[in-house]
Amino acid sequence: MWTQVSQSLHESMARVISRIATLLPGILAFILAVLVFAAVAWGLAWLVRAFLNAIRIDERLARGTNAIAEWSPTYTPTTLITRVVFWCIVLMGFLVGLEAFGASSDNALSARLLGYLPNVIGAVVLLLLGNVIARFLSRSVLIGAVNMNLHYARLLSQGIKWLVLVLTAAMVLDHLSIGAAIVDLAFGILFGGIVLALALAVGLGSRDLVSRSLEKEATRSAPESIPEEQFRHF
Amino acid sequence: MAKLELSEETKAGMEEVGQADLLIAVVAPVQSDQLRAAATRAVLVPSLSSLRTVVAFPGLNGAEAAALESIEAPTGLRFLPYSLPSADPGRIPWLAGAGIYQGLFAMARELGANACAVIGFDLAALESNSLAQMVAPVLEQRCELAMPLYAMGKFDGLLNSGILAPLTRALYGRRVRYPLAPDFCLAGKTLPDVETAVQRAITQGQPLLWPATEGALRDYKMCQVQVGTRHAPPADGVDLSTILTQTVGSLFLDVASNASTWQRVRGSQAVETLGVAVSPPASAAAVDTTPMLETFQLGYRNLQEVWSLVLPPVTLLELKRLARPNPDRFHMPDELWVRVVYDFALAYRLRTISRAHLLGALAPLYLGWVASYALEVGNAGPAEADQRLEKLARAYEEGKPYLLSRWRWPDRFNP
Repeated sequence: MWTQVSQSLHESMARVISRIATLLPGILAFILAVLVFAAVAWGLAWLVRAFLNAIRIDERLARGTNAIAEWSPTYTPTTLITRVVFWCIVLMGFLVGLEAFGASSDNALSARLLGYLPNVIGAVVLLLLGNVIARFLSRSVLIGAVNMNLHYARLLSQGIKWLVLVLTAAMVLDHLSIGAAIVDLAFGILFGGIVLALALAVGLGSRDLVSRSLEKEATRSAPESIPEEQFRHF
Repeated sequence: MAKLELSEETKAGMEEVGQADLLIAVVAPVQSDQLRAAATRAVLVPSLSSLRTVVAFPGLNGAEAAALESIEAPTGLRFLPYSLPSADPGRIPWLAGAGIYQGLFAMARELGANACAVIGFDLAALESNSLAQMVAPVLEQRCELAMPLYAMGKFDGLLNSGILAPLTRALYGRRVRYPLAPDFCLAGKTLPDVETAVQRAITQGQPLLWPATEGALRDYKMCQVQVGTRHAPPADGVDLSTILTQTVGSLFLDVASNASTWQRVRGSQAVETLGVAVSPPASAAAVDTTPMLETFQLGYRNLQEVWSLVLPPVTLLELKRLARPNPDRFHMPDELWVRVVYDFALAYRLRTISRAHLLGALAPLYLGWVASYALEVGNAGPAEADQRLEKLARAYEEGKPYLLSRWRWPDRFNP
């Protein structure tokens, strides 16, 4: 019996080693592809940076209000473009590596990974955009509300931020095909609930205010004189 | 940016006029009958009556302009219409863009004018007869750029008093009280230079023309003329954040563009003041600063995360002390306010955060300064209020080394 067990173990060991030996060229090809493309990406990013600096793109785009600077002020257009170039080429290297890995290993895993990759990339882009938009809108609302002397400025700003983040999270999960129907349903309930809550809050909480305002509007006979401003800023 | 392109009609009118001694450039849309009456009255004064004067004005079509021409005008007075470019959406309607000035200066240069008087906002400068007072020193070659010295109440033009004038003075070394005045007069010989400067500024995205800054940069002989003009820009639909974004933002952009020049300037020189002092309008003695203090305190409670990106810890600590609810003893020291403005100017250059957000976050701090100033000069007369503003301007000058240091080494540790 021990002979049979030993033989069985030896055979399984041989199969695993043979499998690893089959995968090894693929893994090596993957690593090599990523490294080569990373080196190419680095060189190309350097060239692009040199070209953009030569044509002074930062200065040109800095004239007036430009979208990149307003949404992502800490990054110059040159930095953003070079980073996009770098990561695009690294990603290409990653895809080439995966393809080489798949060809050498004849494995269904690599095919599935390759098929799923666009979803992951899309989800990452959505997540980044969602974060930038949430941060920008939340800050815009916060500053605007403070300047309008609204005491619930922070609440409003946080509300906007989380609304955008929740929307982003739902879109990301949907893009990754995770929890499909549950996410849609949960998001619908959550979003609908927030809107309903706001409508109820305004409808019930401000009922007296609205009716007083309407009464005032209806009974007003002549336009009231606007008090002269005490301060003139300009 | 909206640029003034002269139409064929305007060019034909210029050819017909030929030469002029004085170009009165009206930059805001006005009523034709009011313009005619005001311009006729303005050029009847002895110092201008013998001049060939052209009034360039916007907003009329050819037929209306012809009708305006057909009415009898004093000898030597001609009206020349031009079409205003479509206004940039979101721009304050009464702030003329730099592109318009460039077109008008080109017009004055081509007409060979000895002086170009710009009339902004409204026709107040023509109606109050202050035009002749500003044009005379330029024509007499006593100065190359005449700026107005308006008689304003102590609570008028606060943005100018708190930021624009003292910052311009500290940086460029000329004590001009209204650096962004809507009315001013340039000598003809300066026009080509100023035109080029405006063109360069436009390519750098500068939306406004800062005449006093251009004068200081080119070392023009400047003077200030005391005038009785009172402009009242309409406040309809324009909030403080928008005004700050478009005026202070433009000034900060100017500061970034001219950094190599203002870093070499030390101290400031007085600018010759001409004319007879005009008494300012009476201001209310008791003013309510509560809403402004509330906005400041609300800003402190909510905007700390934004302010902390721009201001150093010691400034934030001082603001914390100020934010304690004690309205009667509220006082923002000049040194603190100056450092705040300088730090915001630096953050504007470095794009620490979105520029629109940055200037929006400055609004509560500015209102804090206004409240402090109002509490301080509430019972003071115009002379005392002027002295108070002079003290602030000196604080800006004394604080300039701080700006220089932060500008040159923005990453250096700043407690």
